[in-house]
Amino acid sequence: MMKYLLYQLKKYPLAIVGIAVLLLWVIVAIFGPMMVSHTHTAMDSTNQMAGPGTAGHLLGTDSMGRDILSRIVYGSRSILTVALMTSIFSTVLGILLGFMAGYFGGKTDAAFLRAMDILMAIPPLVLSMVVLGIIGDSSILTLTLIVSIAFIPATARVSRGVLLTEKSQEYVSAARIRGESHLYIMFVEILPNTTGPILVEATARFAYSIMMVASLGFLGVGLQPPTPDWGMMVIENKPIISQAPWAVLFPALAIASLVIAISIFSDFVSKVLIHER
Amino acid sequence: MNDKILDIQHLNVQFKTFEGKFSAVRDVSLSLGRNESIGIIGESGCGKSTLAFSIMRYLAPNAEMDGNLIFNGKDLMENTDSEMDKIRGNRIAMVFQNPSTSLNPALTIGFQLDEVGIMHQKLSKKDARKASLDALALMNIGDPKGTVRRYPHQISGGIQQRICIAMAILCNPDIMILDEPTTALDVTTEAVILDSIKSLKDKLNMSLIYISHDMGVINKVSEQIVVMYNGEVVEQGPKAKIFEHPSHPYTRALINCMPRGGVVKENAKLNTIKGYVRRRGIIESGCPYADRCDARNDTCEAKYGMRSIEEAHSAACDRAYADDIEDTIKKKRKPRVRAVAPKQPKTILELENLHKIYGTRRKIYAVNGVDVEVNSGTVMGIVGESGCGKSTTGHMVAGLYKPTKGSMTFDGNDITRGWRKRTPETLKDIQLIFQNPGRSLNPSHTVEQIIGRPMQTLLNMKSKEERREKIISMLHKVDLGGEYLTKKPNQLSGGEQQRVAIARALSISPKMIVCDEPTSALDVSVQASVLNLLNDLQHDSDVTYLFISHDLNVINYLSDTIMVMYAGKICEYGKRDEVMSKPFHPYTEALLSAMPEVDPTKQKDPIRLEGGLPDPAKKPKGCPFAGRCHKQVGKICEEQYPPMVKFSDTHYYNCHIAKPEM
Repeated sequence: MMKYLLYQLKKYPLAIVGIAVLLLWVIVAIFGPMMVSHTHTAMDSTNQMAGPGTAGHLLGTDSMGRDILSRIVYGSRSILTVALMTSIFSTVLGILLGFMAGYFGGKTDAAFLRAMDILMAIPPLVLSMVVLGIIGDSSILTLTLIVSIAFIPATARVSRGVLLTEKSQEYVSAARIRGESHLYIMFVEILPNTTGPILVEATARFAYSIMMVASLGFLGVGLQPPTPDWGMMVIENKPIISQAPWAVLFPALAIASLVIAISIFSDFVSKVLIHER
Repeated sequence: MNDKILDIQHLNVQFKTFEGKFSAVRDVSLSLGRNESIGIIGESGCGKSTLAFSIMRYLAPNAEMDGNLIFNGKDLMENTDSEMDKIRGNRIAMVFQNPSTSLNPALTIGFQLDEVGIMHQKLSKKDARKASLDALALMNIGDPKGTVRRYPHQISGGIQQRICIAMAILCNPDIMILDEPTTALDVTTEAVILDSIKSLKDKLNMSLIYISHDMGVINKVSEQIVVMYNGEVVEQGPKAKIFEHPSHPYTRALINCMPRGGVVKENAKLNTIKGYVRRRGIIESGCPYADRCDARNDTCEAKYGMRSIEEAHSAACDRAYADDIEDTIKKKRKPRVRAVAPKQPKTILELENLHKIYGTRRKIYAVNGVDVEVNSGTVMGIVGESGCGKSTTGHMVAGLYKPTKGSMTFDGNDITRGWRKRTPETLKDIQLIFQNPGRSLNPSHTVEQIIGRPMQTLLNMKSKEERREKIISMLHKVDLGGEYLTKKPNQLSGGEQQRVAIARALSISPKMIVCDEPTSALDVSVQASVLNLLNDLQHDSDVTYLFISHDLNVINYLSDTIMVMYAGKICEYGKRDEVMSKPFHPYTEALLSAMPEVDPTKQKDPIRLEGGLPDPAKKPKGCPFAGRCHKQVGKICEEQYPPMVKFSDTHYYNCHIAKPEM
């Protein structure tokens, strides 16, 4: 297995960059806050809109004198938490719904498909924005739940699709004629054979979640202050973009680097898993 | 020297994979004369197809090849890609195994055929169409003008393959390569196609390279035979020489392991080749067959290479013709004694007027009234071409589908229902072995889980240790060992997978096993060992088999009674010897005559069946076989379902032709 991974890495060297950047962000999220000099809320009134490299402020400060680096580091924690939880939640819910629909077929499936069509008619971003606006609560937990639900049509359809291809396999017939229960067939017989496509979808969802959380933050309905949020940093500092471009640039770079890294990682996962099967 | 159209010299093909390089074709040299036909034979994984593709220089990007390919006096290896494009399809044409995937389903047959003329010969649209129609006529396609307007799915597999061949001959190529063109087809269709290939060769003055795993088929179309094993040519020579004096142990084993010509379970065990084709790395040297060879000795590793036996016949074995090989290969043909005394036979399964209609709006009449009784402890063989309803019948017995009409009685209990409503007792008593072991074993479960699960659910064996003990003993019974417990299906070869599937079915001591083409997906050498195993296990446990196959030789070897099916109906039923020696129904007769014969001295003329099965979407009327029957008696055949004619108490058939005087 290890040898196989190395072979694939050699074939797609870009994946090394992707994985390295992703790992870097994970390390930053875990250990970063212990290492930076400021907290994300600390204001340095003597250094407002200081440029990058100013003593004590490696990436500069914003209009209130808050350290950009510290805010990005703290922000990585919340964004990674929300994104990870969202991709897990939406995948698990998607598997449950998609499997039930695909396995039982017929009317269950038709009802499921129509419900998904309705959900899909509303773009996930608009859906989450409206719901979050109505609820008026944007804690990490509600944000996760709502983004997960907005993602369900995609994950459930993927799960349903892979279930359908597996369902026609003879090992499923073999399980049926020994009288296995539906749940056993779905989750013990079929599920392990669908991990490839489902994992690929889950990593892709991870990247989408980050985009989504950042976008919601940018639109003002994401995580609320004082929780640091990269999207929110971009919109907060937009008015001062001409005086202090770094205050917008660095959080934007953070978002971009993380999303791209995860996308590359997701491509790699799909290459590895699809070749393996 | 110009009578050689193709001369392959020391061809090597290697593939680069993450596990390192492995060699698919090694040092192959062979030459093909004008209007000559070469048959390449070997099991799967022996590099036959790779060789074919490398002649066209059409290989995957991770392939490396070296050697010389002299075509018409010019080395193809020196050609550029655009020069190759002019040769591919134009001078060297190829026909693939599966016609339904080589034709584009979205375009009409005419469009696809015309394209060849327009592309390669720069013909105008009108001329191209004329050429297409001619080619179709040459392939004996009844209505060329109608055919060109159709789409591939509107045409039967046999005709599709004939269209593929027509496409290949459109440019009047010098060489036509056929890669298992009839493997996916029924025997009766195969017989017709082989005929037309043979006549084409002479009409068009083409050379043929015919690739197959079936000795019988090769025997019909080829003059020269090349036997390949693990990427190397192990024997080559004229057909007669090879069949009369097979010299390489592999060739002999290959010829010997097929159940054919009157070999039945009572009088012989099938010969097998132990092991399976190993994937070879590039470093290995010596005889590729050494690990499976019965005649191996110490010199096999060192002394290796082609040597001539007599003119034009050579084999890569030092010990070819050695007398002691003869003995080791013609072994173990002794009658066997039954381990368990047969109990008084009683009817275990009774099918009455069994029907299965699929679909609600568009109906498919799959099984249209099957009445049969099966005695316990016997093997009933169901034989017929694809689409005749044999698998559906088997699956209904196993409980996968519920019959539309009719009833099934098993061991005194009514089982006319699907798996959902069967008692655990019935589920345990009837087991099913599928055609493709790779698909019937869950790829993410270990062998222990696979065999152990039925014990857990149907025998209620709770203790893991107890189960493991029994699993190991089952594995030994199917000639595997305890080390297989933790393996997953993809770590096993096809033969090993099917053994695991058999172990799973047998582990809970069922009363009946439905075997749905259990050996069709396997190589002949593996097929022989699986058949031996099934036979031994039946002897020891007195289980009843419902054995489904399209291969009459296999059915003949294993069955006690035979049921011949056509379009969901029984054509003929009887004891094995009755059906095989005195086939009465015209369809049985045609099937028997279509079986390719391996012995060149026993060539027979097959009865050619034109056309295909009747449309299963129409409610059957009259005799289903009437449209293709060579012995039709008249209008009555199409209008009335034939009566059952009894030959003896055990042998009957359904036909309007009256019983002949005995």
